[in-house]
Amino acid sequence: MNTTIIDLSLWDLITVYSLLLMSIGLAHLLKAGQSKDLFWSGLRMFVQLLVVGYVLHLVFALETALPVLLILTVMIGFAVQTIGSRVQVKMPHFYRIVGTAILFGCGGMTFFFCTLVIGLEPWYDPRYLIPLAGMVIGNSMTGASLAVERLAAEFRECREEIETALCLGSSVSLAAEPAVSSAFRAALIPSINAMAAMGLVFLPGMMTGQILSGTEPLIAVKYQIAIMCVITGSVSLTTFLILRLGYRSYFTPHQSLRED
Amino acid sequence: MPLLQARAVSVSRPGEAGRLQRVLRETTVHVDAGEVLAVVGPSGGGKSTLLRLFNRLLEADTGEILLDGVNIRTIDPPLLRARIPLVSQKPFLFSGTVRDNLQASARLRRSVLPDLNDPERQELLELCQLNPAWLDRDARKLSIGQQQRICLARALLGPCQALLLDEPTSALDRPTADLLAQTFRELASRKNLAMIVVTHDLRLAEYCADRLALLLNGSVVEEGPAARVLSHPATAEARQFLSLAPVENGETTA
Repeated sequence: MNTTIIDLSLWDLITVYSLLLMSIGLAHLLKAGQSKDLFWSGLRMFVQLLVVGYVLHLVFALETALPVLLILTVMIGFAVQTIGSRVQVKMPHFYRIVGTAILFGCGGMTFFFCTLVIGLEPWYDPRYLIPLAGMVIGNSMTGASLAVERLAAEFRECREEIETALCLGSSVSLAAEPAVSSAFRAALIPSINAMAAMGLVFLPGMMTGQILSGTEPLIAVKYQIAIMCVITGSVSLTTFLILRLGYRSYFTPHQSLRED
Repeated sequence: MPLLQARAVSVSRPGEAGRLQRVLRETTVHVDAGEVLAVVGPSGGGKSTLLRLFNRLLEADTGEILLDGVNIRTIDPPLLRARIPLVSQKPFLFSGTVRDNLQASARLRRSVLPDLNDPERQELLELCQLNPAWLDRDARKLSIGQQQRICLARALLGPCQALLLDEPTSALDRPTADLLAQTFRELASRKNLAMIVVTHDLRLAEYCADRLALLLNGSVVEEGPAARVLSHPATAEARQFLSLAPVENGETTA
């Protein structure tokens, strides 16, 4: 089997960008009003990935832990920011809660996988740690966004139910339970769907990437299974932490619903 | 000593343009066991705010509320709320059967579920005019009047000493409201409950209350036996309010 990697030349890249031009043309034809968005997103992708490519190139060459940790911090920062931009009405201490949850949820799971499972040597080996953490943080970000959005919606729409429970002598945790479990369910749906459809509906990105770069398909499959478990673990732990730390912020210290 | 009393409670809430507005001004009311107190007044006069202070859904800025002589701030809110449940204007039922709803209070307090067939509970359901044949029906499919009766029985099935009722009949038609008013009366005397009914409906007050407190702009302007205040108000403010207030239910909304 041929395991040499086919590099893409600048000309190849220009050729594929012509496909984006076609999309812009089609969007224009249907008056979808997305031509500008497509153009700028395409350009942003090019610049962002080029920068990331050079940064990774540099970090791989440096072989020290500090730049790796720096990159992970930036990733977490962006993830928290993105979750924040998704919800209009934020619970009190939003950033502190989400930041802590992502740090422990994603950090914990990634650390678990890298040290206890694959036994990374050195522990910060950027070739593994950065892409793995990226996938874990990215997916947890999506799950956490869904959870905080749903939690806010539940507290808005189910005020009556929650207050009725409080008026009957319920603790805040029991009164909030339906809202919290609904938010948790929302966060986990993408992971459940992805695992169930894996290999049938689509070949997942990481596995495809590994196969394209010459990895034996069976090894790629094992990695994919492992990373899906890590991702699902991280999504659940991150979401769990956000919900446990966050639901109380909808209540006053004397255990009634906040008014706003 | 009254079972439940508010002593000089004041509350300010953010009103229009975020400015603090005084909703209650050193308001003092009390209610004894077995007695129904109606707090009457126009919408926005602070009635619901006052009611919500008694089970700590809201906290007063100054003043104190005593249950059996004990400041309620020293009582754990869930315990307090089980002892002084609040039934709101619009009945809210949890999804499930009537039985599920009647047992909700115990379930939410992680307590043993009450046996609805024991004679004492049967009597309570009867007092609330709940048909035992409804127990296994979908609670949310019953009429609003029946739903409000379920809310009432649900609140009373806990360790209830006093009951707070916030415009309890405003979602009901007149005959249903009148029947429910009689139910409140009977429950208070038979179960020796202290009851505070907040309403703008003078007929409800007349039908069920022993005493009446008229709350205007956050202050009690007149208080006394319900029949006397309604027929011979002593103050000018009370006379003016009573001459304008609707006697029929549903004419104004709270």
